[in-house]
Amino acid sequence: MSTEKNPTLVLTDDFAPGEVNFIKVDNFKFFYGKKEALHGINLEIPSRRVTSFIGPSGCGKSTLLRNFNRMNELIPGVRHEGDITIHGTSIFDPSVEIIALRRRIGMVFQKSNPFPMSIYENIVYPLRIAGQNNRFILDETVERCLRSSALWDEVKDRLHESALGLSGGQMQRLCIARAIASKPEILLMDEPCSALDPIATAKVEELIIELKKDFTIIIVTHNMQQASRVSELTAFFYLGNLVEFDETRKIFTNPSKQQTEEYITGRFG
Amino acid sequence: MHSHPSRPHTLSDFTTALDQLRGSVLTMASLTKHNLQNAIQGLYERDDDSCNHSIADDEEIDLLEIQIDREGIEVMSRFQPVAKDLREVISSIKIGANIERIADQAVNIARRARKLNEHPELPELHHLDSVIKLALSMFEDATRSFAERNASLAVELKSRDKSLDNLNKDLTNELVNRMQDDSPNLPSYLNMIFISRCLERIGDHASNIAEDVVFAVRAEDIRHLGK
Repeated sequence: MSTEKNPTLVLTDDFAPGEVNFIKVDNFKFFYGKKEALHGINLEIPSRRVTSFIGPSGCGKSTLLRNFNRMNELIPGVRHEGDITIHGTSIFDPSVEIIALRRRIGMVFQKSNPFPMSIYENIVYPLRIAGQNNRFILDETVERCLRSSALWDEVKDRLHESALGLSGGQMQRLCIARAIASKPEILLMDEPCSALDPIATAKVEELIIELKKDFTIIIVTHNMQQASRVSELTAFFYLGNLVEFDETRKIFTNPSKQQTEEYITGRFG
Repeated sequence: MHSHPSRPHTLSDFTTALDQLRGSVLTMASLTKHNLQNAIQGLYERDDDSCNHSIADDEEIDLLEIQIDREGIEVMSRFQPVAKDLREVISSIKIGANIERIADQAVNIARRARKLNEHPELPELHHLDSVIKLALSMFEDATRSFAERNASLAVELKSRDKSLDNLNKDLTNELVNRMQDDSPNLPSYLNMIFISRCLERIGDHASNIAEDVVFAVRAEDIRHLGK
């Protein structure tokens, strides 16, 4: 898809994000070997908002998400064209250290992945590998992150017990707590609720809405209702193209593109 | 612009449920049209039986309104419709309520016609012709715009509603004047004024239906524009 075909986001007057083009994806192409998985994506994501990426499996939404923190570079044979900037700086600039970049961009995965250690040590892990061993700072971080992830009241009396004893929903919220421990600016979530029951899902969604005050959140989800509940902006991807990007309420009430309409109303495939 | 129905949902039950809801609205509209025709026939042919049919058959329409609400709620709870599907469900429920009000007006007309039938026919009865014709055609076209998803036809109904308002106003003035000259027939003139008012209300409800069709088809809210 050519650059000019990419949808341009026109925000309504009552939508006032912190910084409109906080994350800027500029004619971004991504290749797994010879296969082009993303075809020249252009996208501007505002800060301190929740943006959903939706689309059928294989449409490229997770591929783009994993580019924001350059996680895709762990896969052999990949390459990209175009650029992604955060706050005006290219994430591919040679001066950018990947570890530092990932400290600015937390990530939560589909399957919660607590480390086989205590709840406390899970959260302070990003700080310890950054050389932080000050007990006061570590304690403060654990409480702040557990409160932010709405887990403090449930685990405050067993901080030094294994994280593997938590329920699925609690584990996922622990992973969110760990992801925000290094005070990132951006939180990437790749289907964070797909393995959770409705109550745990509601708690994580409540958390996402709460966290957007401090973080720019991008969530990949197959759950349309979740996208419409938690996000203010939605991007619909199909076959490696960005088909439509608009305010979520517009996407789910009156999308501009027929492909979007067919996908969200369940007329696809 | 006609909006062509797009391809069916991957989940065929979803398509079936939406079709069922649509079918219920069209059935309700068809029965209401029949009731209106009975009421008008009772008026023109001085036939109380036709009036009684119109009044008795209203119950079935009331039940259909309840059925449409139930089917709409079921579609929303089972399939969580979005975009045009959601607009169609919301519009169907609102259109069902408007059709029910039109059927109520058919009952009111039938009751007033029975009262008129108790007295000799007035020559002014046929002054209602143009009001009846316009009100019935508006309801028919509102139904057609829903059935065909024809937003252009729906938009056009708004201007016809203004014409109907004017016809009703003129006829009412005329009948009020006749009341002063022909006081023995005052109750009959009054009943004719009520019937004209019922027909004017039918135009309002047809106009509301048209607004809901435009919303369903084009996602545009054309209510209360230019007021």
